[in-house]
Amino acid sequence: MHELSLATEIYRTCRATIDARGPGRLDSARVAIGELAAVEPELLVYAWEAVVSGGRDAAARLEVEWHPARQTCATCGEVMERAPGNWLRICPTCGGPVQVAGGDELDVIDLSYTPDEEETAK
Amino acid sequence: MTQVDVRQRILSDNATAAAALRSRFAATHTLVLNLISSPGSGKTALLEATVRALSGRLRLGAIEGDIATERDAERLRALGIPAHQILTGGSCHLDARQVSGALETHDLGPLDVLFIENVGNLVCPTSYDLGEDFKVALLSVTEGEDKPFKYPSIFAKAAVTVVTKADLMPYVSFKLDDASGQIAALRPGGTMLVTSAVTGQGIAEWCGLIEERLAAKRGAAS
Ligand SMILES: Nc1nc2c(ncn2[C@@H]2O[C@H](COP(=O)(O)OP(=O)(O)OP(=O)(O)O)[C@@H](O)[C@H]2O)c(=O)[nH]1
Ligand SMILES: [Mg+2]
Ligand SMILES: [Zn+2]
Repeated sequence: MHELSLATEIYRTCRATIDARGPGRLDSARVAIGELAAVEPELLVYAWEAVVSGGRDAAARLEVEWHPARQTCATCGEVMERAPGNWLRICPTCGGPVQVAGGDELDVIDLSYTPDEEETAK
Repeated sequence: MTQVDVRQRILSDNATAAAALRSRFAATHTLVLNLISSPGSGKTALLEATVRALSGRLRLGAIEGDIATERDAERLRALGIPAHQILTGGSCHLDARQVSGALETHDLGPLDVLFIENVGNLVCPTSYDLGEDFKVALLSVTEGEDKPFKYPSIFAKAAVTVVTKADLMPYVSFKLDDASGQIAALRPGGTMLVTSAVTGQGIAEWCGLIEERLAAKRGAAS
């Protein structure tokens, strides 16, 4: 449900990044979203479309890079992907308790834009 | 087309505001708890029981986040502690800028402990740092013991999980062992408490934990 506020923040960050380099139009932005960040990628893209619609960047795409959380066994060092929809709490190899690492990514990675001078040169 | 590396946290503005709050609370040695759980799981009831148990000993205050109504802040003011209601007007979480805005306009006075009761929601508030010392997740027994694995994010981020409405345990099939196993898997080293705002079960331990953490914060500061 907070995808709309996140999309607004992402767009604000993109706009500020472009504006600092001169006028231009945003083509696409890439974000990293971790599995534990409590964000639904599909909803984030819908929210993004709502945020950019009507403005000069209406055609800008949002690409979501999904980062799963890794589970590590503290006892034997085994690293496991989280099984979809299910959190194993026991290491399948040695039966020890597993620890969760990563998966909290929530970053704007990069963007591409077309500077206005390129547009008029065409 | 020009490509630019941005490499910036999406919530960097929130992070900046949260850091400012954190240093403000460090300066006043105020312990701050961010309470997160689904609607109606007993956040305000737990705070009411806490105020009854601790208000003679500690200076307590609260910030209440809700989409609408002053009800929760009124419930706590009725018990004699300063409480300010933030109305989010539809937004499903509190953010750090709202909390600092509230503290600018409504001075709650010097506090030992500030409770921030987030908007009832198990998902969205998880992403927003409010400058708290730690997050507290509440899980009422009527919600079912499978919730930690279904909503892993909050139970992984909360240093303390409080299982609430324990008095209703005889009437619902809530498997406490199962819940505590899931919570321990998501947050190794975290603390789980079992409380009831009706019978008072676990309230003394909960208050003890608050006093312990407050003492630790003060000890670290001096
Ligand atoms: N039996 C029982 N009922 C409880 C307990 N704690 C809360 N309740 C009831 O649960 C309902 C919701 O409690 P609240 O404290 O308002 O819950 P909340 O989490 O603050 O709700 P929101 O702020 O709306 O998200 C109320 O009717 C309470 O009386 C408890 O320990 N035992
Ligand atoms: Mg409440
Ligand atoms: Zn192992």
